[in-house]
Amino acid sequence: MSKEKFPEFVELIKSKGKLFGPVKQKEKYSFEEIKDFSELDFDYQRTIISPKKFITPAKYSTLRFVKFGQTEVLPDDEPQIVMGVHPCDIHAIKILDRLFLGNIKDPYYAKRRENLIIIGHSCLPDDKCVCQSTGTDMVEDGFDLFLTELDDFYLLWVGSDKGLGIAIEAENLLEENVSEEEIQEYVRWQQERSSMFTTSIPSYKYLADIIHLNYDSDVWEQFGEKCLSCGTCSLVCPTCNCFHVDDKIMMNAEEGIRERMLDSCTLPYYSMVAGNHDFRPDRTARLKLYYTHKLKEYIGRWGQPSCVGCGRCIAYCPVDINVITVSNALFEEVCETQEVCDQ
Amino acid sequence: MWQREKKPVVGIFGFSGCAGDQLAILHMEDSTIDFFTSADIKFFHMAQSHQEVPKVDIALVEGSINTERQLKELKEIREMADVVVALGTCACYGGIQYLGEDVETFKERMEYVYGKSGEVPEFLDLVGQPRPAQPISEYIDVDIMIPGCPISAENFVPIYTKLISGLLPQKYPMPVCVECKYEGNDCFLLHGKYCLGPVTAAGCNATCPSIDISCIGCFGTYEGANYPSMIDKLKEIGLSEEEVIRKLKLFGGNKVEQALKGD
Repeated sequence: MSKEKFPEFVELIKSKGKLFGPVKQKEKYSFEEIKDFSELDFDYQRTIISPKKFITPAKYSTLRFVKFGQTEVLPDDEPQIVMGVHPCDIHAIKILDRLFLGNIKDPYYAKRRENLIIIGHSCLPDDKCVCQSTGTDMVEDGFDLFLTELDDFYLLWVGSDKGLGIAIEAENLLEENVSEEEIQEYVRWQQERSSMFTTSIPSYKYLADIIHLNYDSDVWEQFGEKCLSCGTCSLVCPTCNCFHVDDKIMMNAEEGIRERMLDSCTLPYYSMVAGNHDFRPDRTARLKLYYTHKLKEYIGRWGQPSCVGCGRCIAYCPVDINVITVSNALFEEVCETQEVCDQ
Repeated sequence: MWQREKKPVVGIFGFSGCAGDQLAILHMEDSTIDFFTSADIKFFHMAQSHQEVPKVDIALVEGSINTERQLKELKEIREMADVVVALGTCACYGGIQYLGEDVETFKERMEYVYGKSGEVPEFLDLVGQPRPAQPISEYIDVDIMIPGCPISAENFVPIYTKLISGLLPQKYPMPVCVECKYEGNDCFLLHGKYCLGPVTAAGCNATCPSIDISCIGCFGTYEGANYPSMIDKLKEIGLSEEEVIRKLKLFGGNKVEQALKGD
């Protein structure tokens, strides 16, 4: 598709439902509702909150109750379309899908996911992107459409029936044949992009083992001393999905709602159970849970860690505790003690 | 009401403070009528004529304790109430007046504010002998704390309605940062500006950061606050230790005092 036709293409997509896309707000980017094509800004690295906000919103009610009865509150049926989603965030949605749509389907997630159309967009890395290490810099599925932006044109990938439907409708905007030159340009772009990554997670392949070997290391204590327990890492992480449930009774004391809100394992009462027994009363234990769960335990259950290298923890932790600083510290610890690393 | 047979009797008592929390209750507008019908409200001086009962089920206590007379009244409230709720930052942590907790006599206080010419007016005898400002928890057992300066309806209503329904409110401490990220805000600390979000209790829906104003900590301390790391961070962005501690103490009251002493 040539670039001139792009606004028309966006217009067509907008007719399918509520359109969201990356918008610049001061120094940050955010996925916001798009009224006009000019609001869109695809030249962005990362939004503070990932597109998980469309499928596991920060706060939503699941139940409305009165004195003698209750009704389930399911999300609206209105289709939502999100444009400009980068490969890492698409990988993150794939991870969330596995969790929420596995054996036990979460009805609230399922409804939102069904109504969500994902239109991916290519990106170029900055110094905080580590998706090359995590192997999530490219994406083959998990989207409805994916646009790769090259100098004068877009290459469009179709990833689902819904995406195909849109592509068929946009027939007159798209060119069916991709020339040899265009393919060459794409390959060159890919190679150039791959060479642009400046940051990597050391020994990512063995990270689970490194964490295992370091389970009792002092490194955790050092990070625990610094951690503010503010929960930012979990809220900005595209794969963190823990939620807290609370019943809220209205002022008339006759009716109420059950609300789900995003939680974080770094918060003080996260691991508290009945009888006020707290498994992880200190920050170190909670931070260790965050990183061992994300980078190690996930592999055992799902075959891959749940980090997609989006760089949000690197960009938004106020005290520099992130996947790079943690893995670097652990890596150095192993090098010192085990002499297994010669990199 | 799920559990209670009859409407609970609720008393609203005010000590030293701006009475903003009582006002916040009246300001709930959509819920104000429900507030007066869902429970039997007594002692609400701001809203009704004086009425006395020997016992209340729930006492909402606002303000800090500053005089002997207040202390005596507070102890009476504890005697007559099943559940005591500290309402607002003053009652929970001492409030701004806690900053002057080392200035004891009225004379010292008047001189501090008005200089040497500051005389103690006679009517002050009516309020009893002065004491350094303290949160109510300093003197009595407090069952629930609802901080805020003033309290926010969104934070107050779910806790209060559980109490009047005979249920136990769930305590789940979160810092302002959590609500700030719910709103999708950028972080001040990353841009070299001070913000007390990480050490301040949530409940305000990150009102200030959402309109681009740093958090000054008016909801008091967050239970999981890491003060040493927060002080380091604020020093890193250019504040002096003195400034940092002053900012923390503004609303942090006795909790910040205790935390800083513990280090």
